[in-house]
Amino acid sequence: MMFAHGFGCDQNMWRFVAPAFERNFRTILFDYVGAGGSDAGAYDAERYGSLQGYADDVVALARALDVEGGIFVGHSVSAMIGLIAARQAPELFSDLVLVGPSPCYIDDGDYVGGFSRDQILELLDFLDSNHMGWSQTMAPVIMGNADRPELAEELTNSFCRTDPEIAKRFARTTFLSDNRADLGAIDARVLILQCRDDVIAPIPVGEYVHQHIPGSELVLIDASGHCPNLSAPKATIAAIKAFV
Amino acid sequence: MSDGPYCPPSSAGDVDAGIDFENLFETAPCGYVLADKDGRITRANQTFAQWTGYPAALLIGRRFSDLLPVVGKIFYETHFVPMLHIQGRFTEVALEIVSAGNQKIPVIVNASMTNEPDGVIPSIRFTLFVSAERRSYERGLLAARNEAQATILAERVDSELREQFIAVLGHDLRNPIASIGSGVHLLGKEALTDRGRKILELMGGSVVRAAGLIDNVLDFARGRLGGGITLMRDARESLEPVLRQVVAELRSIAAGQRVEAIYAIAEPVNCDRVRIGQLLSNLLGNALTHGAKDQPVRLEASTDADALIIAVTNGGAPIPTEAFEHLFQPFYRGGDKGASHGLGLGLHIAAEIARAHGGSLTVQSDEAQTCFTFTMPLRQSASD
Repeated sequence: MMFAHGFGCDQNMWRFVAPAFERNFRTILFDYVGAGGSDAGAYDAERYGSLQGYADDVVALARALDVEGGIFVGHSVSAMIGLIAARQAPELFSDLVLVGPSPCYIDDGDYVGGFSRDQILELLDFLDSNHMGWSQTMAPVIMGNADRPELAEELTNSFCRTDPEIAKRFARTTFLSDNRADLGAIDARVLILQCRDDVIAPIPVGEYVHQHIPGSELVLIDASGHCPNLSAPKATIAAIKAFV
Repeated sequence: MSDGPYCPPSSAGDVDAGIDFENLFETAPCGYVLADKDGRITRANQTFAQWTGYPAALLIGRRFSDLLPVVGKIFYETHFVPMLHIQGRFTEVALEIVSAGNQKIPVIVNASMTNEPDGVIPSIRFTLFVSAERRSYERGLLAARNEAQATILAERVDSELREQFIAVLGHDLRNPIASIGSGVHLLGKEALTDRGRKILELMGGSVVRAAGLIDNVLDFARGRLGGGITLMRDARESLEPVLRQVVAELRSIAAGQRVEAIYAIAEPVNCDRVRIGQLLSNLLGNALTHGAKDQPVRLEASTDADALIIAVTNGGAPIPTEAFEHLFQPFYRGGDKGASHGLGLGLHIAAEIARAHGGSLTVQSDEAQTCFTFTMPLRQSASD
């Protein structure tokens, strides 16, 4: 059972959910290249300029760990990455759990993704203004306060750290990609977990995904926001357990 | 509302101190917003209501993220909420609040979750500080940084182009110089007047000098383009003939200045002979240019048990102390006497060749003489 994080954080996203499956499954948690504890030096702007690059990594990782007929749980952008990976290597995953999926974040004709292109470009600037504060607090972490670990703990937002440039590129890849063509019939069983009040992936988007993946199951969980895996872990666990 | 988390503790000490906590909460010089675990506002202080233009009562029940512009909402969902859940707080976040009048108010937000022992998350607390000036300062810094980066990139591209141009030009100049050299050589076999022979000798010297300059320029350009000085070491062939050839060439352009040479090289020397020849040519050229014209330039090329030593000595005025640190820098030309004596690459390239061989080039200069010494260990470490 493989858990994949979305844009903005790392595998810590699954810390309240994954342990619930450890007894019955072999669980795999990982950080995408450029996120969390990954080797930022391995980041290649061209490779990760589309979700395909991330999907290739999922396939490679799953194969390296001998996954076959496994369950892929992908949050946010990882939902689409999982779909692409499952299409590419159908033997890997028999079940896909898509948490807050969106095949396209930008409005396009009749399709309502929730955002305009300009708003997404504005987001890239916005990320700049917040990384400034981060880079300052980065210093004690980098320099290492081995003798006073509580200092770093106290001062810094120590989770989900990303190189600012990589974060911007990931944002671009995530929010500017249109993967509606990757929906459609797929062999794997598909569960869509949809939250109430999710601005990133609103209910109509979840329904769109549901309609365009024949045989998929849509479950509305009683959670507000985009991260039910953090804000409503119990409901999330229950929904996934009921499906698998 | 009196049961909010910021109510005064009931300890007697605080009451005695006369602090009105209710008033402190409402009119503190920062915005306070309390919300339930889903981010729905349960209470906001007067300061915040005043800043945003929303009556405090109207804020209740709205989600905190409803007050953010679209990009702020995305950031809130993808960064803020995860961090809040994972580490229990998130601090120094630059956000904008959309006011009742539809103005965007820049704020710095700190937030924390009150954690209960059983893991239930009852509420979120936000503290907000208006930060318009700080934000515009930060934007200015960012813009300056971006501009500096763009300038550096553009300059780098420019300078790379320039260096490539130098490399190509130098390379292309080699062929015509070589042709002139063969022409001079062939003409030397013709019957010539004494005056003609004299002129031909001078021309031959000029060809040697021009070829040497081009070699130096090319090496410099290659070094700058990341190619560096590459060596083709060969211990099988003798080094001495190459050195003799260089001395002969330099004598031909020495215009009456004497060049004395002593060779005591126990072969073999594992080096790039062409490069060592170039190094010697540069040292001799330097000595002939800067040394006293009425004193000989002396070369001593020898080996001892450990090293190859090539020392070139000239008389004349010592090198000024302040010139020492620049001596081996590219384009440094000492004691500018009006007339140009080349590009100032000779010693730089010589030092680079020495370095590439794992050796060193040092200089000693006093009233009596100036001596450049190249020392290269004969037993190489495995590095080359």
